[in-house]
Amino acid sequence: MSLRGETNKYLAAAYKNWIISKRNAFTLFELFFWPMISLFTIGLLTRFLAIGQEMTSYLIIGAISLTMLQVAQIDVAYVLLFDMWSKSIKNTFIAPVRSYHLVFGALIFGIVRGGVVFAILVVVSRYLFGFNFLAGGPLPVLVFLTGVFATAAFIGMTVCISILTFGQKADVAAWTLSGLILLVCGIYYPVEILPEPIQAMARAVPLTYFLEYYRSIFIPGSHNVMMGAGLALLYLALGLILLDGSIERARKTGILLRLSE
Amino acid sequence: MSEPSVDAQGLSKSYKSFFGKGSEVLKDISLQVESGGIFGLLGPNGSGKTTLISIFSTLIFPDRGRLRVLGLEAEKNRGKIRSQINFSTAKANFPWSLTVSECLRHYGMLYGMYGSHLSRAIDESIAAFELEEQRKMKFEDLSTGMKQRLSLAKAMLNRPRLLFLDEPTAGLDPDMAIKTRKLIGRLHQDEDISIVLCTHDMAEAELLCSRVAFLRRGEIVALDTPQNLKNMLRLGERLVILYQGQVDLKAIEQLPGVMACISLPGRAEIVLDRSYDSLDRILKLFAETRIQDIRINEPDLEDVFLELAR
Repeated sequence: MSLRGETNKYLAAAYKNWIISKRNAFTLFELFFWPMISLFTIGLLTRFLAIGQEMTSYLIIGAISLTMLQVAQIDVAYVLLFDMWSKSIKNTFIAPVRSYHLVFGALIFGIVRGGVVFAILVVVSRYLFGFNFLAGGPLPVLVFLTGVFATAAFIGMTVCISILTFGQKADVAAWTLSGLILLVCGIYYPVEILPEPIQAMARAVPLTYFLEYYRSIFIPGSHNVMMGAGLALLYLALGLILLDGSIERARKTGILLRLSE
Repeated sequence: MSEPSVDAQGLSKSYKSFFGKGSEVLKDISLQVESGGIFGLLGPNGSGKTTLISIFSTLIFPDRGRLRVLGLEAEKNRGKIRSQINFSTAKANFPWSLTVSECLRHYGMLYGMYGSHLSRAIDESIAAFELEEQRKMKFEDLSTGMKQRLSLAKAMLNRPRLLFLDEPTAGLDPDMAIKTRKLIGRLHQDEDISIVLCTHDMAEAELLCSRVAFLRRGEIVALDTPQNLKNMLRLGERLVILYQGQVDLKAIEQLPGVMACISLPGRAEIVLDRSYDSLDRILKLFAETRIQDIRINEPDLEDVFLELAR
């Protein structure tokens, strides 16, 4: 297989997600409506509570992270969700593709969409709430975005694994799993205020470290972004292995056929 | 002799629930699909046809048994096999909002096709399956027949050496079904590909298939050419006589070569074994009656199906 052929296997998932998204009015909600609601709610809350610039940055970083994570993870999950909803999943799995083609192809589109959302929210937060998200410079922004997208890829893969293991009823995971992760990783609060067992869980989520890292640019504090990066890499590898395993299992149990009926 | 397109030995399959309970849907299936032929998989609903074709296409895995596809050990060469095969199913489904050409592009990309080669393959598939007018139409807006054509067009996109067709004419109106059968025959001739065809339609199987296997409750109950199956099951020609008057039907039943005689008032259906020349003697027994109509029906696969499905 040539490099271009192999590249196209990745781009196939991005192409499908792009076509379906551009024809779906709800995409606009995902890209503009909900992100704006999230940012405005938090931005206005900071005004109402008359909190200082540091706390404002703390909360707005959380709001922007939440939105980007949700947009990017759903794009990864869509790679199977669209096939499952249209009952065409067996057409994908009879083709000579592997789990990483599907996941990273969908993630490419998720990064593009997440990037658009990020740009919009950064501009709005700058002009409406006086918070310059990019003040730390390009490298910290890049590190932070990499952490968010890596976490999104893992959540999206977990949704795919759930679908291939439990069938159609598991699609609810696409919307609930990211919520749980956000609750645990201290999206609007430091994880230290969480009960001990949940703090331990938070320390196992890469996004926790990337949030602490990026917040440390605006509010002096410690962080361990290398731990976050290590966990993100570990989870990406683990996610791909588990996804491959769940595809193999779905071929053994025949769930791939049931998802196409 | 060339290697068979599919060589299955002792394939078995059960569908298990999450908790491990399940029923066996295929039991010890062994068969070979000759290279370059059209092989029919026939059987009643629930006989395991779709499961077997799904195993052959490596979509799902058997619990036990050995499978070689296109000369390759299936378990170790799934990627290589998948790049050389394709399939089309009844009730074709693709992502709803993709147009015909977008759909073909997406699946072409999944097969690693790119650039002008991909664009040309899309154009050729669209032309071959007469989908030019629907090129920019979304999948959800296509008629059932057009969806089926798109499914076949997608199945031919990667120029497969082995094609699996699962009830390709199910749900189509007779005109579209005839066109689709012609297309399948043409594909087989022009592209020189092996085809495994799952069908309920016995006329379709008889028209297209060089060999057929009958499945019942997950087991192969017959495997041969359509003609040999008819001979093997001694499904004789059916002589139907409409008459007025009295005839000794018991005497007919005693004649050599008469396999069965079914009588209704004014109508006799006599099943004849071809190897005996008994027609003359039968007609002599009707000499005292007034024959109104007489027909001889050759047995078809439908009769074989009914015989085997019992």
